[in-house]
Amino acid sequence: MPHQCTNCGRTFADGSKEMLSGCPDCGGNKFQFDPTGEAETAPPETEDTATRSASTASPEGTSADDPGVTDDVAEPNTSPPTAPDTEDGAQASARSDVVSPDELAAAAESTEPAADRAEQGETAPSPADTDPSDTDASDSNLDALRQKLNDQFESIRIVSPGQYELNLMELYDREEYIISLREDGRYVIEMPEGWDDR
Amino acid sequence: MGLLTNLRDSITRVTDRLFADDEPKRIGIYGPPNAGKTTLANRIARDWTGDAVGPESHIPHETRRARRKENVEIERNGKTVTIDIVDTPGVTTKVDYKEFLDHDMEKDDAVKRSREATEGVAEAMHWLREDVDGVIYVLDSTTDPFTQVNTMLIGIIESQDLPVLIFANKVDLDDADVKRIADAFPQHETVPLSALEGDNMDEVYEKIAEYFG
Repeated sequence: MPHQCTNCGRTFADGSKEMLSGCPDCGGNKFQFDPTGEAETAPPETEDTATRSASTASPEGTSADDPGVTDDVAEPNTSPPTAPDTEDGAQASARSDVVSPDELAAAAESTEPAADRAEQGETAPSPADTDPSDTDASDSNLDALRQKLNDQFESIRIVSPGQYELNLMELYDREEYIISLREDGRYVIEMPEGWDDR
Repeated sequence: MGLLTNLRDSITRVTDRLFADDEPKRIGIYGPPNAGKTTLANRIARDWTGDAVGPESHIPHETRRARRKENVEIERNGKTVTIDIVDTPGVTTKVDYKEFLDHDMEKDDAVKRSREATEGVAEAMHWLREDVDGVIYVLDSTTDPFTQVNTMLIGIIESQDLPVLIFANKVDLDDADVKRIADAFPQHETVPLSALEGDNMDEVYEKIAEYFG
């Protein structure tokens, strides 16, 4: 419903895959998006499907809800037979929703203990499943954080005038090189040869 | 007989020259500040060309720009090796002007020296990436070689597959510990020397000819 073929006027439900290869009716490949339709339908639908898909993950349940939601909205261009089953609740929520931290944690816990058991194999039956998953999660978080910090760390950090911290790997890795430092924290760099050719 | 030997030597030198790679190998002298890199570069340059490379000082970061001495011909065992020596600023992860204040330096000068030293490290790292065919890694035998900088630089050099010699410098000092350096980097050859006193320079040149010839 939020998408409409600009050629023949056929409408498509939000998240429909039908229009990915052009309008099935006329072959048109221009569609207009109707945000008002989206705004009216989105809140009840996404809330509902997000919680459902996170907790029960039953596609029948979500798709069964959708026709009801789409039918509720009266639009002039609405054509009821627009394949309600193509509306995917997960897709819709993925576009419109941001996953909550609780859901993330739940997902991580549901997958990681299995992997842990596989890795540990015969060594330990792991009395408390949550422990290894927790440390693993914090490890990966720490790695991610470290990576992020490394990425952010400038090659030369001016702590104060006359005091510098250098990231040697960064200095080594960069193609251009810093010729001089300015008092105001600016660098003068030499561009590698050939940059102007590109 | 002597004439014949000389003749043979000079012929060997010519053929060596002819069949050697066209360009002299560029050997970077790397290491932390105050390890004696410039003293070594000067020693090598003076021994084989008569010139010096740059001023030496006991104050860290005296060398703040890479300096090059080209076409240094080193003869060992009838073989001539021609190298370009690049004396680089000492590599470190922190530069603090306060360090220089202890050496009777005005604050403004210390801040300036600090900034130039930082630029020098950037330059040294850039050279390592772009322009060096081999590395002489100079360490002060009286200090602990297990530092972040040493580990990182040796790691980078290894990742580049560059030939590297570790020089354990300052063996003339009482508290020099060459074994500690050799143990720190057992995968590489460690050569003890005193660039200042000229101790063990024969082996130094032998190894240079062997590794970079």
